[in-house]
Amino acid sequence: MPRTSRLPLLSSALLGALVLAGCTPSGGDGGARGGPGGTGEPVAGGTLVYASGDAEPTCLDPHVGGNYPQALVSGQYLESLVSRDSDGQIIPWLAAEWTEAADGLSWTFILREDVTFTDGTPFDAAAVAANVEHVKDPETGSSTGYLAMGKVTAVEAVDARTVTFRLSEPDSALLESLSQPWVAMQSPAGIARGIDENCEAPIGTGPFVVDEWVKQDSITLLRNEEYASPPADAAHTGPAYLESIVWRFIPESATRYAALQSGEVDVIDNAQPDTLVAAAGEDGLTELNAPRPGSSNRLELNSGKAPFDDERVREAFIRSASVDAGIETLFFGTAERSYSPLSSVEALAHAEPDLFGYDLDAAQELLDDAGWTQRDAEGYRVKDGQRLTLEFPVSTNQSIPAEQSLFEQIQASTKEAGFEVRLSLLDLSSWYAVLAANEYDVVSAPYTKVGPDVLRILYSSSGITPAPSGYFANHAQVSIPRLDELLTLASQTSDPDARADYYEEAQTIVLEGFYILPLYDQQNHYLLRDGVRGLRALPTVSTPTLYDTWLAEG
Amino acid sequence: MSALDVRAAAPTGAVRVRRAARAGAGEWLALAFLAFVVLAAVAAGLLAPADPLAIDPANAFDPPSLAQLFGTDESGRSIFARVVHGAGTSLLIGVAATALGLGLGTALGVLAGLGGRFVDFGVNRLLEVLFALPGLLLALFLIVIVGPGTLTTTLAVGLSTAPGYARIVRAQLLTVRAAPYTEAATVLGVGWWRKLRRHILPNTLAPLLALGTLGVGQAIVWASALSYLGLGAVPPSPEWGAMLAAGRTYLSTAWWMSVFPGLFIVLTAVSGTVLGRGFQRRTRSR
Repeated sequence: MPRTSRLPLLSSALLGALVLAGCTPSGGDGGARGGPGGTGEPVAGGTLVYASGDAEPTCLDPHVGGNYPQALVSGQYLESLVSRDSDGQIIPWLAAEWTEAADGLSWTFILREDVTFTDGTPFDAAAVAANVEHVKDPETGSSTGYLAMGKVTAVEAVDARTVTFRLSEPDSALLESLSQPWVAMQSPAGIARGIDENCEAPIGTGPFVVDEWVKQDSITLLRNEEYASPPADAAHTGPAYLESIVWRFIPESATRYAALQSGEVDVIDNAQPDTLVAAAGEDGLTELNAPRPGSSNRLELNSGKAPFDDERVREAFIRSASVDAGIETLFFGTAERSYSPLSSVEALAHAEPDLFGYDLDAAQELLDDAGWTQRDAEGYRVKDGQRLTLEFPVSTNQSIPAEQSLFEQIQASTKEAGFEVRLSLLDLSSWYAVLAANEYDVVSAPYTKVGPDVLRILYSSSGITPAPSGYFANHAQVSIPRLDELLTLASQTSDPDARADYYEEAQTIVLEGFYILPLYDQQNHYLLRDGVRGLRALPTVSTPTLYDTWLAEG
Repeated sequence: MSALDVRAAAPTGAVRVRRAARAGAGEWLALAFLAFVVLAAVAAGLLAPADPLAIDPANAFDPPSLAQLFGTDESGRSIFARVVHGAGTSLLIGVAATALGLGLGTALGVLAGLGGRFVDFGVNRLLEVLFALPGLLLALFLIVIVGPGTLTTTLAVGLSTAPGYARIVRAQLLTVRAAPYTEAATVLGVGWWRKLRRHILPNTLAPLLALGTLGVGQAIVWASALSYLGLGAVPPSPEWGAMLAAGRTYLSTAWWMSVFPGLFIVLTAVSGTVLGRGFQRRTRSR
């Protein structure tokens, strides 16, 4: 397939050498790019075809549940109170300004003027209150937004443009939480239609409007002609350039890339490592690398039960897992090794590379010390007649083939120390069931959230007890009083330096306790056809925004 | 098919017998290839001493060369070693599934053919219901209930092919029962049991040998298809279908990862078919 589509690409290369001169892979800054070579004046009009490799959402309202596929598409039609710029600073969006009370127990937001939802409902303080209420309503079934609003006890409309959030305790992460698409603002009239109808076509203030959703095929979005509320870091004001967006779902990686090469689609997400390498050799394709915020992609070792309740066994596993060479070859240099529980886009990420060097001899010694001294016929270690077996359930929906191959390599290299790692590839619901039943020893479950407060969700001991929905996020089952204390202090302080210190100590505890094996950032690569200009990833959760995007001729 | 085959068997000339009995070059090639696969299944270590599970990330994605005959995969494992070591699994699934399908099919077919009108009616309706579902769907259904794995795949493929065999056996049985030599035996006063043993069963079951050879090839393809979908062999075990699926991701950059396992699936199935057809031709002309 790549061969046959060379021809049109080659001819377009000959036609537009000027255009190609500006085509270099962009870094992770996510900054908006103007047009190259002096032809940079944005052109309005046209339809952009976006092909997503993520799962098709079951509901287009990101309040319901709250996952990444929802965030990808909802960013085009829903907006949040605040956003984040590429330096990690919170910037105005639907809220123009805000103040925190001296006791930290309330925040007051002044909303932007003259913003209306696309159904004509005015965006005001009452709408904000209705949205938070919707997220917190158990009927909505929100998990991500619900956790983000955990400390919010009440939202009061002081006047039409002033709204006060009352908190149960100070929350240094409130602004970061509010910047996320999972608590975006929707028309109260739209919400009032009920979950089923609202899921089909949520009504927001965004630059596009959901026109039609053909299940298992595509979502059509039309330009909001009245649009007037871009975030503070947008490249222009007024309505979007694109007339419409066709948001398609092409789960198969090779098919998605072939569609991009043939010009059938303009943008693809979830570009796989091998695709990125192939695309780098093709003219007319540009990469946008935007790692997700929140946690890094790491293996979590279940310290809540044997054998990983013994720190020596955890360290032995981490020491005997050889991952560097695998990451290099499987990801073709597109992913960088991480040594932190947090994503590299988080300013407060703390890394400890020294803890994660491969050392088979040290691993053998640790296991001997821990009493795993015997070996059985197959070379696995045995203690009291029990084999050193680790259950490693892998969700096929949440990991790419390269990652599954890396897990196989970890399985092979830890075998030399005497670990038997049992990989099982599971669909999402079976995977959740295995986690809920505590039948796992190793698991990979990256968590996307804006800001370092994700540490509280992942490593606070309260995260071990499953929520009523059965979900829990502390898969490593870390339960350390000092860590709990640090995470609480960090989330309550309004002093940025103290917050940074608390989070650093917390990350050190997690890393030095060998609860996790960090691998790399949560990979998030987009590929764009050459004619697509001004596409950027929002620095909140790295989803693309097509507001500034326009299509160049040719 | 079988009913016609048997009737056509009656008039045979000497020339035709000789031509049918002589094996062509294709059959020899098929036999040689299958012999290689069987040898690989029995003594994999002899053909490929390398460990099919040993990883070597530094030498990942090496193209085929003299040192690595079929190249290496994404973890630096030898594709040749994996294909050779995978032969056992694939062949075992193929043979066991076919044996299961044939055995069950024969039992059902004989039951229908000899059991009298009501049993025949019952078995036939059951087969029709099973026929309404495509075989692979039936296999998927079983896997959903029991869970993925090599044993499940074998059972699933075996059970899914049984209805087809049952119908063929029944048709063959009815034809043989009405054949002139069976009638002659009846007229000569041969007993029912002896007639069944001497005339009916041998003539019914002989063509199954050919069918079985054909079936093994098909069962391997099916089992590979299930593994390809992630429902068969568990990683990192070297199974042809699973290898094909793993290579799919790298098709544009490392074609050897899927081409060689794919080639072995195709060649095994084709060889089985060529030999099966040969058997069929010979039983027909006897």
